[in-house]
Amino acid sequence: MLDITNLEVRTGDTDILRGLSLSVKAGEVHAIMGPNGSGKSTLAQVIAGHDAYEVTGGSITFNGNDLFDLEPEERAREGIFLGFQYPVEIPGVNNAYLLKAAMNARRKHQGLPEIDAFEFLKLAREKMATLGMDPKFLNRGVNEGFSGGEKKRNEILQMAMLEPRLAILDETDSGLDIDAMKAVAGGINALRSPDRAIILITHYQRLLEYVEPDFVHVLSEGRIAHSGDKSLALKLEEQGYEWVREAASA
Amino acid sequence: MGSRSSQRMSVISLQPDALSRVVASLSGETPSELRQRAMQQFIKRGFPTTRDENWKYSDLSNIIDISERWLAQADDAPLEALDETQIREIQASIDATWLVFANGHLHEELSSALTTAAISVTTIDDATDISIDEPLADLNAALMTDGIVIRIGENKRIEKPVGLLFVDRAASRPLTSHARVVVSLDSGSSARFIEYHASSGDANHYSNVVIDVTLGNGAELDYVRIQNRSRNHSQTQRLSVRLGKDSSIRHFGIDLGGVFTRNDLNIDIVAAGVSAEFNGLYIGSDKQHIDNHTRVDHRVGPATSVQEYRGIISGRSRCVWNGKAIVHKGADGSDATQANHNLLLSKHSEINAKPELEIYADEVKCAHGTTVGQLNDNALFYLQTRGLDRQEAKRVLTRAFATTVVEKSPIVELRQLIASQLEARLDELDDGDSA
Repeated sequence: MLDITNLEVRTGDTDILRGLSLSVKAGEVHAIMGPNGSGKSTLAQVIAGHDAYEVTGGSITFNGNDLFDLEPEERAREGIFLGFQYPVEIPGVNNAYLLKAAMNARRKHQGLPEIDAFEFLKLAREKMATLGMDPKFLNRGVNEGFSGGEKKRNEILQMAMLEPRLAILDETDSGLDIDAMKAVAGGINALRSPDRAIILITHYQRLLEYVEPDFVHVLSEGRIAHSGDKSLALKLEEQGYEWVREAASA
Repeated sequence: MGSRSSQRMSVISLQPDALSRVVASLSGETPSELRQRAMQQFIKRGFPTTRDENWKYSDLSNIIDISERWLAQADDAPLEALDETQIREIQASIDATWLVFANGHLHEELSSALTTAAISVTTIDDATDISIDEPLADLNAALMTDGIVIRIGENKRIEKPVGLLFVDRAASRPLTSHARVVVSLDSGSSARFIEYHASSGDANHYSNVVIDVTLGNGAELDYVRIQNRSRNHSQTQRLSVRLGKDSSIRHFGIDLGGVFTRNDLNIDIVAAGVSAEFNGLYIGSDKQHIDNHTRVDHRVGPATSVQEYRGIISGRSRCVWNGKAIVHKGADGSDATQANHNLLLSKHSEINAKPELEIYADEVKCAHGTTVGQLNDNALFYLQTRGLDRQEAKRVLTRAFATTVVEKSPIVELRQLIASQLEARLDELDDGDSA
């Protein structure tokens, strides 16, 4: 589904990704871990199409199509979803409006009619209930005045409504208390399916106790230094990242 | 050395002879003594110039030019035919009791009968106490086309909005209109007012509207001003509100059209317990000039004034916001808040924003904040990752910026109309020069 080959990315004068390769197939859940500054968020932003980064080498294809040919909104309509580490507050745009606009942009691209208003509300209320969100959040400004946990739940709500083919969740677990963590993990697990892929970018092993990954990768110095199964996450939790760095530079 | 740089004096007043002649011809109608007094005062002071701090960014030379040309032909100027379709469309879109000022004259046929047991409407005469206190108000009184006094009786509550429609049509020759409205809400009364400005025609036009409002003890006023003039029309407008004990006003103004617009909103708090909220939105494009000056005088406390103005400025337009709050000596317990936020959509557009606080009392709470910025790139990207294309994302954010202040419009029934006018205006920005 997603094939990243020798990806090189810089911003300003700084090389961030230096030859990163990763292959993600439908049905798989990948966790990408790594120390601060290793390039995890950059990878997520580049896949989503942020123009602050300059791609200097390599390629990314999504279902065989060159991602760099697509604008961020086209990538979204193709089914790529990015859950933001820091969801943006947009006062004056109500949450329901954005959800509906996002769903309809995707549906239009798929040749489907706009979602019926009644169906939309029913679906949104259902998903919100499973995420432990008050339906009142639908009528508030997007992320406006939301707590950290509410913003992350809202990202998961958007993901649940949009049913993407590839979901990239950038540190969705950071700053969550245990209840929020469980709700968010429940939302992610509900979306696991044979035709969908999920990439979890995380600092800690904690989320992976609730969402069990098929693969765990460690990012260091702008490339994947180590890959393994979920036991790799446990090793990182116990031993930290130092050994990865040493192995990478050896 | 030796040569002295010549300082060019701008023409700051109408030709006194021509002005006298026209005022004399108008003085056949009442009020004559008032007109003469106002004219003398105007001739003495002349138009404000950009050297006057309050007019630093707004140059009246175009307005003076229109007025001069109108004066030169005023004696035999026939009234232009009205655009009745435009008037009826506005009346059909807003449920209100309308008083129509067409080219400055009260048009009885198109106006509703307003007088009831609760409201009285009379015309201004020499005995009416109207403000002649600064040049444009003086000029307005001297050349007044029509002036009326609206009075809401004690403890009367008027539900249906009173609509003041100022509509002008200048088809073939320059035109000026000087309408004056005096409103008083007696103690315990409440009312809702809509002030609507529209125009049509290809010739240049200048309107100078002065509205003086007095609120008695405990009176409540909701007030919305919509300025949707055509692009060759200039206007100056002043709304002065004097607030009595425990009275309150909620005001919202929107500026969509016109080539040159100057609005003055003067809030005068003369007793304790007053609450004044006034908000506004201005949208400039092309070469439009839109200037909003607000002034609130806290003479007695406790009292609260809150204002928020927002601007969307594109093309080569220039907007001005100047908010002044004066807390006078002894007005303890005054609480004055001002906010002004601007979205600059073009590198050729300009905003001159200036909050001013003058505090002479001891126990006060005052705050002001002004921002000037572009659309937020992070928010644009966020919306794009949700499938909205960049153009649509820009529209969503621009609309949101405006909506947060439109929602403060106190007459709820008008919000839909304002929203659709806003949308039409944003379409123009997209099509035009907003780059």
